[in-house]
Amino acid sequence: MGEDMITEGMLDMFIFETEQGLENLENICLESKDVGEFDDDHVNGIFRIMHTIKGASAVMMYQNITTLSHKLEDVFYYIRESQPENIPHAELLDYIFEVSDFITGELEKIKEGAETDGNADELIEQLDAYLKKIQESNKGSVAAAPAPQQPAEQEKPHFYIAPVASDASKFYTIYITYAKDTDMANIKAYIAVNSLKGIAEDILFTPADIISNPDSANVVLEFGFRIALQTVEEADRIMELVNASAGIEQVEINECTSDDFIAFCTEAQTPISSAGEVLMAPVEHPTVLIKDQKPQTIPLTSEEEKKPSDSEEKKPKKAPAKKKPVVKKGEAQSFISVNIKKMDLLMDLIGELVIAEAVVLQNPDLKVPGLDLTNFQKSAAQLSKITSELQDAIMAMRMMPLKNTFQKMNRIVYDTSKKLGKDVELQVIGEDTEVDKNIIEHISDPLMHLIRNSVDHGIESNEKRIELGKQEKGKIVLEAKNEGGQVWISVSDNGKGLKKKDILEKAKANGLLGNRSEKDFTDKEIFNFITLPGFSTKKEVTEYSGRGVGMDVVVKNIQDVGGILDIESEEGKGSSMTMKIPLTLAISDGMIFSVSGTSFVTATNSVTEFIRVSKDQLIVEPDGEEYVMIRKECYPLIRLNRFYHLEHGKEDIEEGIVIILNHEERQIAIFADELVGEQEIVVKPIPSYIKKVRGISGCTQLGDGSISLILDTGGLLK
Amino acid sequence: MKILIAEDDFASRKFMLKFLSKYGECDVTVDGMEAVDAFLMAMDADMPYDLVCLDIMMPTLDGYQALKAIRDIEESRNIPEEEQSKIIMTTALNEGANVNKAFELGCVAYAGKPIDQAKFENVLKKLGLIS
Repeated sequence: MGEDMITEGMLDMFIFETEQGLENLENICLESKDVGEFDDDHVNGIFRIMHTIKGASAVMMYQNITTLSHKLEDVFYYIRESQPENIPHAELLDYIFEVSDFITGELEKIKEGAETDGNADELIEQLDAYLKKIQESNKGSVAAAPAPQQPAEQEKPHFYIAPVASDASKFYTIYITYAKDTDMANIKAYIAVNSLKGIAEDILFTPADIISNPDSANVVLEFGFRIALQTVEEADRIMELVNASAGIEQVEINECTSDDFIAFCTEAQTPISSAGEVLMAPVEHPTVLIKDQKPQTIPLTSEEEKKPSDSEEKKPKKAPAKKKPVVKKGEAQSFISVNIKKMDLLMDLIGELVIAEAVVLQNPDLKVPGLDLTNFQKSAAQLSKITSELQDAIMAMRMMPLKNTFQKMNRIVYDTSKKLGKDVELQVIGEDTEVDKNIIEHISDPLMHLIRNSVDHGIESNEKRIELGKQEKGKIVLEAKNEGGQVWISVSDNGKGLKKKDILEKAKANGLLGNRSEKDFTDKEIFNFITLPGFSTKKEVTEYSGRGVGMDVVVKNIQDVGGILDIESEEGKGSSMTMKIPLTLAISDGMIFSVSGTSFVTATNSVTEFIRVSKDQLIVEPDGEEYVMIRKECYPLIRLNRFYHLEHGKEDIEEGIVIILNHEERQIAIFADELVGEQEIVVKPIPSYIKKVRGISGCTQLGDGSISLILDTGGLLK
Repeated sequence: MKILIAEDDFASRKFMLKFLSKYGECDVTVDGMEAVDAFLMAMDADMPYDLVCLDIMMPTLDGYQALKAIRDIEESRNIPEEEQSKIIMTTALNEGANVNKAFELGCVAYAGKPIDQAKFENVLKKLGLIS
């Protein structure tokens, strides 16, 4: 089975391996950044990476990547063999990063199907000069340094010639219907196909027997004619070509993915010939292939059919020969990539399963008195266990550690601080925190922005820091942690902090204050001004930040995943930006309670306690606002029945129950009629035709089939 | 330079013939079996091919089998590695597994279709077949 696992194209494999190599390279470099030198493991590691990239790019015939990686390999060969003592480390790091950036740039071009035309000559010369320099400076100390030359093992050269522009091709499905009175629709369909052949890399159509079988004309008239096309041309051009033939009533052209293309091929087989026919008469196979076939795309190609015996005897022979590449790709093979849509579908289905489970287990039919449910309860317990494990499994599948994202930030801090001439240290905490894949994609950009901002605006220049009596080296802390169903990712610096006065002035100038007086604004509100579009107090613009675009984009990105940005700052001491993002817990534990016949659910982890309070604990303000005193703490009270105008709710505080909810360190008491129970809830959004109601974030279905509203503590507190 | 092209698809065959004719005398076969026969004949006449281009998906004997057969023949006649024919696979199968398989069987280059002529020529230069 080993060989089946490598299904990626040659090019994909090259890109994947090279990217991995570069990533490792950067990690090694950043690890050694503070130490100031490479240890033996690092040197060997870098040497190996460059050697691999050199080899792979030579096979793929990317000349510039090969020469460049070869040059860097030479440098490390010298370092490894001669163990020179003084190596200007920072300079070397710069060169490595430049090499890495260059190759990354070329990889991007390869991905887009463009030529790798980057010119690495200058960089190669610099590396040459650098190599000479360290050789010179170490001549004295290292007696018999062998001249750096090719590593001994001379590999047999292999070349891979990538096919022309295979990446740029697009897939289309075309659906043509002919007017009902068209004569010889089959011939007309064939003409359409023929006119597409000129631009097609691969073309399939159904029905396929349009030339040999005159009856197919009726099929074409009745069901239309479908074509799947792989081409580099745009839809307009296809339309032009197809429309050239007469009698066409309607043409529908849709761009699709390669997956759809394959699906088309497979489904096109079924409707006309039954499975038996396919086996017995492969010639009538309804897919027709014209050129550039790919075996995974079309299960049965004409050529393969012709020599079934060949391919069968071929397989067992080749299986044992596959050992080498399997070992090499071991790391990559322990992962499979799955279309995120499939994962979402699975997630939804599991959600439905959880509801169905509740409906079964709490079915009113079971409430008949005197029913012996012992066995039922046992099986039910087993079922519940499995469904909850299933939920954990799907959640875990979507979770990824933040490690990779955080590691990239190392590089950003390094680059930015270097360019700005600042000494900045990045401390990373909680990089193993796992978050949903979707979140990772959304926070990567904002995080980069925040880090750059911190280095650029936050941390003062070295001189300024000394003047202020701070440690010369600035410090940025990047921290991730789980906090009550949310993940908090914060970027804190010990720089100059935000100037409230400046922000207020700028806000005033921009007319953002409205008619409130400056004193009315809380710190948080003031800091939030900087997240507005076009708002920057910075007078000069640097390469990295200060243009006033950025913070609004950051906030927008965070909001897209339902999070908020929390800014804290103290002038002169530093600031801290925290992204608070809910873990996508589409299924969570909920506490159900009812208020005058309507049931509400709230997330179990936001409930602090339930308590019955007596009348003397209730404080009523003259304006009608109510508070409850519990153990000398005062909580604002919301009576849900009054809040949502529900009639016939319990009014006497001693009859109902008070629930204390907390949200981001703030607490609130709500008054409900009675508790119903706890259940796993599947959060469904409130349909868009219902207007947004304060404090309600969604709805869910309960075990008895009724609908319950989800109470959102954050919304209530606003 | 003597060149052997094995290719079952007419259009590809014509293209390869036109493309490679400028570098030397080209012989054309339509399947792997014929290619091996032609290779043997040339060897017996002491005029072996310098370059062999093999398609992979071919009737009777596929490209891999032809490649292996040719390398086996050369080995059995004790032809030193540097004098062996240079074999380039020309195919639309571009998965890494196929490519590696071909390299292991002893081809020197692997060209995906549609063929990139500039790169192909580049390879011929590197192999020292053309200048």
